[in-house]
Amino acid sequence: MSITDDLMVASASLCKTTGLPNNKDYNHQIRNHITALRNLLSNKDLDSVARDDTLLNNFDPSQDSITYLFLLHLQIRAHREASGHDLPTDLLPSGKLWLKSEYFLRKFDPIQVRYAGHEWRQLVELVVQAAQASPRPFLAVALVRDAMLRLDPSCAVLTSTHLLLTHLSLCSKAYTCALPVLERQISHVPISTGRHFSPSLQILCAEHESSLNFLNEATGLSSKLLDRDYLRYFLYGGMIYLALKRWEKASHFFGTVISMPTVGSVSMIMVEAYKKWIMVGLLEKGKLCPPPNITAPHVVKSIQSIAKPYFNLAQAFESGDKNRLEAEVDAGQDVWRVDNNIGLVSQVLDEFARHSLMKTKKVFAALTVGELSAQTSLSNGKDDGITESKISSLIMSGAIDATLVHSQVCSNDSILRFTTASSTSPQCHEIEMQAQLQIQGRLLESLFGNMEEGNLRLGLSDEFIDNSIRGQPWAGAGAGEINPSLSGTADLEVEEDIMGDLA
Amino acid sequence: MDTTLPDASAPAPTNSSNLFSSNAALAGATGTEDGASKIKVTEPPKFELESYIANYKGRTRFNRLYLIGITSTVLATDALKLAIAEAQSGKDVGRYDRSVRALAEASPSEKEASLDSVWVQDIQRSVRAQTDRLEGELRGYKNNLIKESIRMGNEDLGNHYYETGDLIAASKAYSRMRDYCTTPNHVASMLFKLISVSMERNDWLGVQSYVHRLRNSSSKPEDLVKYLPKTGVALGLAQMHQRSYLEAANTFLSIDVSLGETYQDVINPNDVAVYGGLCALASMDRNELQQRVLDNNSFRNFLELEPHIRRAITFFCNSKFRLCLDILEAYRTDYLLDIHLQPHVSDLYTRIRTKSIQQYLVPFSNVTLESMATIFAPGVVGGQAQPIGLKSPFVQELIQLIKDDVLQARIDLEKGLLVSNQANLRADVQEQALESLKSFNQEVHWRLLRSSVINSQSQGSSTAADRRQRRAPDAGPGMSGDDAFASFGSTA
Repeated sequence: MSITDDLMVASASLCKTTGLPNNKDYNHQIRNHITALRNLLSNKDLDSVARDDTLLNNFDPSQDSITYLFLLHLQIRAHREASGHDLPTDLLPSGKLWLKSEYFLRKFDPIQVRYAGHEWRQLVELVVQAAQASPRPFLAVALVRDAMLRLDPSCAVLTSTHLLLTHLSLCSKAYTCALPVLERQISHVPISTGRHFSPSLQILCAEHESSLNFLNEATGLSSKLLDRDYLRYFLYGGMIYLALKRWEKASHFFGTVISMPTVGSVSMIMVEAYKKWIMVGLLEKGKLCPPPNITAPHVVKSIQSIAKPYFNLAQAFESGDKNRLEAEVDAGQDVWRVDNNIGLVSQVLDEFARHSLMKTKKVFAALTVGELSAQTSLSNGKDDGITESKISSLIMSGAIDATLVHSQVCSNDSILRFTTASSTSPQCHEIEMQAQLQIQGRLLESLFGNMEEGNLRLGLSDEFIDNSIRGQPWAGAGAGEINPSLSGTADLEVEEDIMGDLA
Repeated sequence: MDTTLPDASAPAPTNSSNLFSSNAALAGATGTEDGASKIKVTEPPKFELESYIANYKGRTRFNRLYLIGITSTVLATDALKLAIAEAQSGKDVGRYDRSVRALAEASPSEKEASLDSVWVQDIQRSVRAQTDRLEGELRGYKNNLIKESIRMGNEDLGNHYYETGDLIAASKAYSRMRDYCTTPNHVASMLFKLISVSMERNDWLGVQSYVHRLRNSSSKPEDLVKYLPKTGVALGLAQMHQRSYLEAANTFLSIDVSLGETYQDVINPNDVAVYGGLCALASMDRNELQQRVLDNNSFRNFLELEPHIRRAITFFCNSKFRLCLDILEAYRTDYLLDIHLQPHVSDLYTRIRTKSIQQYLVPFSNVTLESMATIFAPGVVGGQAQPIGLKSPFVQELIQLIKDDVLQARIDLEKGLLVSNQANLRADVQEQALESLKSFNQEVHWRLLRSSVINSQSQGSSTAADRRQRRAPDAGPGMSGDDAFASFGSTA
């Protein structure tokens, strides 16, 4: 029992300092605590501790997050060794260890955890693996999401956990669960710290303006992210929005993927995103959207050539010719199947009817269904029943504002009348507009803040500093301000120049 | 003589190029013939051929006659006969050949329809002789290095080429005069010659640039004023052929009455009235028409020559669109037989018609299609079973106009109405503001992420570069501190 006592003493001493106003002391304290813990847990024979199920009940994760986390890892390791399996049954959902992990992830102290980033991330990854191995993977989605929001409420920095979450949510079809994280706009990616930076000198517990300061590779809260990972996150995010039919958000995510910077070759992930981008453009706006204008030209060229069938489909859609659209859909069957986009394509086909009705609405105030089918290629004009039922279903679903009237004059042809005035009152519309504008205004403000932050980061980057130093010496006296050691020679040179002029 | 060697070899190639270019001219002519032959006019025009052509001088006479000959079925024989006579009075074999062939097609039985090969050979021989002579003279002048003689030699040669129909060679010869012009008058006369050649070649960009050079030349101010009407005509024609009708209208409207009969090589005052009037009708709104055309004192003089144009514009300004369109329709044949107007008649008429429909709708919020059809499609109302049905051309025309965003209205086929759209400006502005805010936010976010990713990439590569640098022995003393940090960081 001595170990437990030791641990209790250690964490109790930490608890005492928790309330300290001085970040520096607290920082020092925690680092010492972690070193002590490591010593404790590595030196002694820990078998008895690892097997003790009640051990963890002595600690409160919201107070002793680090101790709890280390002990949990110890126990998991012990169970793994005992069972000879990577994922022992106790770790699977509703197992003993799972419950402990869940308890921890819901209660941990976000400040303390910053110092044990590696362990925290490992635990999250373990939970995800365990959930995926079980028949109920969705159990982990909400858990991971809440843990992320607990760690960093802004969630503005892309981490490897983000990627895990979106992947898991797609796999488990728990789309809405991931939304709270997806809704928070990613503004930064972790920067591998430059040479002037040392994580051990950093005061992690302080209140940082941007979570970028602790969410990085060095603290272990995120693993190293490759370019591919950025692309994947936004592709997955877009697909989640696709599943929820939130086209605007989805197209924003796909646009992010397409506009990412590349060196040389173009990633297939970009191509996938572009295909979906085209489809979403058709579903949302009914037209072929050009790639975001900040996309590199060579990327545009190659993704367009690879995604040619989609491009053709979109053009057929825009042309308003139903037969051509159907021909394109048939011609591309294999492509849609291979790309797993059959669902999207069929939705585009459905959308076409609504879209052509909208176009008719622009020209006509009222017309008979027969005239409508002659005007649009909604049906080939032979079978009015299909058109009428289709129109009525569109009206019922609220896709178009219109009414169908059976006229007395010719009873077999009903009249479609488009209503111009929107169903909501002007005040309602106004209020809704105002709310929307406010949302966008707030978004703009936060973007502005993030932009300043990004600007600062760029200004502090080694690259920028190196470059500005290199640019300075020949600019005259300016060199003196940047690098005092050079100022003497710079002055001399200036004097020489003056002499030269005189001579 | 050595210096003249390059020129000495010139006659042979010029001869061949002469032949070649006349062939090219022929090919060009057949090309335009193909284009023109699409337009066939079967109704008799309102003018009389002899008095019409008497208004013109120079090469344009033949061109106009020939165009009438191949376009109008009624006047084909008369016009082509006159054209042949016109060609035979000159030295241009290509023209003669072309007009005889056209006549042979139109009415083979005429005696003029067969080629007079004796005349052709005679002319060809004399033309060749004269070309040789003129080129020889020019060579002589060049040897003597007298600027004025060289200029005149080039001018004679250019005139000769122009008369014989070798337009490319003519414009080259005229351009060569440039270096030998000693007075502003010379430059002006050269530019006028270039303008007429370019007009016949349909090189309207060239015409425009020559006009600008002429207007900016260093001639005496009173001379410049004297040139103004002619350059105005040339510029207006160039703008009309480039389909900038508003600019063309403005140019024609500013032409001074002093033009009179001075520029019959190209145009007579009646044409100015027609071109200016039609371009203005097609491009200006009612107020502008009233102020700048009808109340324009100097242009009134031209309009008096063509009273029907004046009446059409007045009707348009008074919103009597049917009468205006009727007048224009009555003169369609005449305008289709005009050498400059022919390619633009349908375009101009469509524009005028579209503008009339737009103007007609302004005061209404609802109009019955029937009342519109009586004004804009009177022929259809009587003739068709369903004058305002979906299939009728008038309704199809309206649909097209609405789709092109020309008309802000919608069609109610049940009640036979055209309903103008009620714009809710406040909502529209709000919508636009929201839309632009969204797209701005979206792009800012994309750019922010992009820069952030680039930053992280460059940081990654720079740390790698540092590691390499650290291994290098000659790292400066200033670096050691940083190195200590970095190594400390990596071990920790």
